Amino acid sequence: MSATEEKKAQQEKEKEAVRASAAPAPSARRKRKAPAEPERFALLGVWAVLIVAFSLVVPQTFPTAANVSNMLSSQVVLLILAIGLLYPLRAGDYDLSVAATLNLATVVVAVLNVQQGWGIGWSVLVAIAASLLVGVINGLIVTAFDINPFIVTLGMGTVVQGLVYLLSNSATISGVDRTLSDAVLFQPFLGIPIGFFYALALVVIAWYVFDHTAFGQRLLFVGQSHDVARLNGVNVSRLRWRSLVISAGFAGLAGVVYAGTTASADPVSGASFLLPAFAACFLGSTVLRIGRFNPWGTLIAVYFLVTGITGLQLLGAQQYVQQLFYGGALVIAVVLSTLVRNRGERKRRAEAAAA
Amino acid sequence: MTTPAPLLGVTGLTKAFNGVPALRGVDLDVRPGEVHGLLGANGSGKSTLIKILAGFHDADGGTVTVAGTTVRSPFGARGLRDHGLGFVHQDLGLAGAGTVLEHMALDSGGDAPGWSRVNWKAERRRVTELLERFEIDVDPGAAIDTLTPVQRAMVAVVRAVGSQELRSGSGGGQILILDEPTVFLPRHEVGLLFALLRRLRDRGDAVLLVSHDLDEILEVTDRVTVFRNGRTAGTRSTAGATRDDLVQLILGARDEHVPKGDAAVRTDRPALLSARGLRGNRVRDLDLDLFAGEVVGVTGLAGSGFEELPDLLFGARHAAAGRIEHAGRAITRPTPARSMEAGVVLIPADRKGQGGALGLSVLENVSLPFLAGRARGWRVDWKGLARQVQDTCDRLGVVPANPQAMFGHLSGGNQQKALLGKWMDTDPQVMLLAEPTQGVDVGARREIFVLIREAVAQGMAVLCATSDYEQLVEMADRVLVLDGGRISAEITGSNITKDVLASAVYAEEAS
Repeated sequence: MSATEEKKAQQEKEKEAVRASAAPAPSARRKRKAPAEPERFALLGVWAVLIVAFSLVVPQTFPTAANVSNMLSSQVVLLILAIGLLYPLRAGDYDLSVAATLNLATVVVAVLNVQQGWGIGWSVLVAIAASLLVGVINGLIVTAFDINPFIVTLGMGTVVQGLVYLLSNSATISGVDRTLSDAVLFQPFLGIPIGFFYALALVVIAWYVFDHTAFGQRLLFVGQSHDVARLNGVNVSRLRWRSLVISAGFAGLAGVVYAGTTASADPVSGASFLLPAFAACFLGSTVLRIGRFNPWGTLIAVYFLVTGITGLQLLGAQQYVQQLFYGGALVIAVVLSTLVRNRGERKRRAEAAAA
Repeated sequence: MTTPAPLLGVTGLTKAFNGVPALRGVDLDVRPGEVHGLLGANGSGKSTLIKILAGFHDADGGTVTVAGTTVRSPFGARGLRDHGLGFVHQDLGLAGAGTVLEHMALDSGGDAPGWSRVNWKAERRRVTELLERFEIDVDPGAAIDTLTPVQRAMVAVVRAVGSQELRSGSGGGQILILDEPTVFLPRHEVGLLFALLRRLRDRGDAVLLVSHDLDEILEVTDRVTVFRNGRTAGTRSTAGATRDDLVQLILGARDEHVPKGDAAVRTDRPALLSARGLRGNRVRDLDLDLFAGEVVGVTGLAGSGFEELPDLLFGARHAAAGRIEHAGRAITRPTPARSMEAGVVLIPADRKGQGGALGLSVLENVSLPFLAGRARGWRVDWKGLARQVQDTCDRLGVVPANPQAMFGHLSGGNQQKALLGKWMDTDPQVMLLAEPTQGVDVGARREIFVLIREAVAQGMAVLCATSDYEQLVEMADRVLVLDGGRISAEITGSNITKDVLASAVYAEEAS
């Protein structure tokens, strides 16, 4: 691994040298192609290496249809949560309340459906509405008082988690209507549970919104600089508010799917999704579109991480590898994205000095 | 009469940035027991000298002596602080929530390790004594936020003095450098700060006061040195100097009037943009009309309010009072979006922080105002936008003419051309410019002037807020000079020369 990286770095240096020597040419009007940036695909490469390695080491259990199907479907909740998180992250804001909101939706579905005897359809609708309300309140506090969403959503998340304990009486509620489980978990398509395709659809929608709508482009500018966006006539507050509502809605959706996959609701376990979701978003921003939070990168990151974890567990590793993997990935991803940004900064300064 | 040996001596100091000379050999000597003024136009090298002494930059050549001893360059990150120089920068370096005592205790820590105990009792004694000695009526426990601007400035000065006393263990014989400390002070309070400077002088300290303001220099200094184009233009005894002498030294040879294209001003039609009774942080009850076909310059000293005028008119900063009309239609509460809709656009002075997003491409930056207009239903028409932006880059000569290039990788001049092209493509009625050629090279500067004059000939109105007189001479049809937030002079047509502008800007207050 390190040998190929060194080689890559060497190639980069040579390319830089060529670029630098060509830069002072006064007839710089020729069109320059965007640099190829092989780093964009680095994570995909590492993922491929992991898959091959595990297939060779544990051939009986890893490369099987059952395992692949299991890996794909087991990550649906995380993927939905992470895709929703991309919206505020794109706008430069953190939403730390998503895991609590996920718990809220799960518990609301179970309480209404199991304890109150409501139909599953209405239970789901109310759960989503409650989640959206969390986002509305987040956005209201952030924009009306101009407070850092990091701290607002940290506090709101704790408040929501308290509500979850209150609603559920701190106990697991089982016996959620099987139709929900059927809708999200079973009904395999191409041998893969249907829930995976829901998540995939959300990835496609997010990609379209980010890359092909004015909303997505404005969100990007808000994330880069509030001032630049504002002076270009963008309503910064409204966009930040909307992105927080969207992430809360996605968290609610993830909670509903979670209730379906377990056919029950416990008030705590959703919290374990928070860090993996951030890890996936940040790791995803080092793939395909370097330095930008992007849905396809997030998809790749989610499945890269679960590949590593599943493979190691099949090799006999214990539960702790999850923490090692997710935590490590988050830190490494943040370091990588900072390195990439600094490299751009250095390049810019070098070019400014040459001009 | 013997001349005392200088406490601070600078001889033949040079400094270039990327081959562009900022200091071409400046001389300066500051004697004990004097307040010495340092004057010069923007870019004359004043700030570069201060930054070298403070350790931000290393000098290329020349010598600096402190109390007769030559100090070798580089001075290191602490600059000449360890040789007895104290600095007060324009922003004063005070944090709002901290108290006076806390700020001053910071300095007495020195090289002590982080875990060493702060002796608050002793600190309070020292600070109280210091404040009393210089007759400053401020409670050591008061938070900086609660002080008036001039109290803050005086605290910053005494803090620098106190820190040097701690170092040398005695009072007197220090060198204090003040970099435009009066810019943000109300005029009537400046006297308090000057009284403090005189007290320091009288005990034998040397004070170097950097300023733009001729009145202040004439009032408080004993001698004054003027920089021009990175050289020392001269040193005068203030007592024998007049305003005209100093203006002459600042500007150099009298400049000739440069003819520019005839104005196509249409005052017969209603003004495209007008303001009545406009009030901002500094602007006071200002009336203004912008007519089609004219470039109106606004200028003044730093802090006179001219800088905030574009922001106020655009709605980027909310006015405290006043009425703004677009082509006769009143705008109740202007916001950037409403202004853009009415054909009013702003190119801010802070290109990197407010003008464009450095981390995004030229295409993305330039296409931002057109996203909705060029969208097909829900889909942004990237192909069409790329063609449009490519065309803009080609037309304005943006290098590299590649819409995919990162905006932050472009030079200042090319960034500005790209932004200018972006707003020109929106077909604006009124363009508000703030320091449009700051950090822009000479060639691009020329091109930007031509582009703006062309657009004006087509019937656009331009307001240009700048402290660059040459730019106003080349570009403006009339110039409004602001003083204390109000218009103090209006200069039109062929009267716009650097001399006239400078004397209007430096004019004594008509009070």
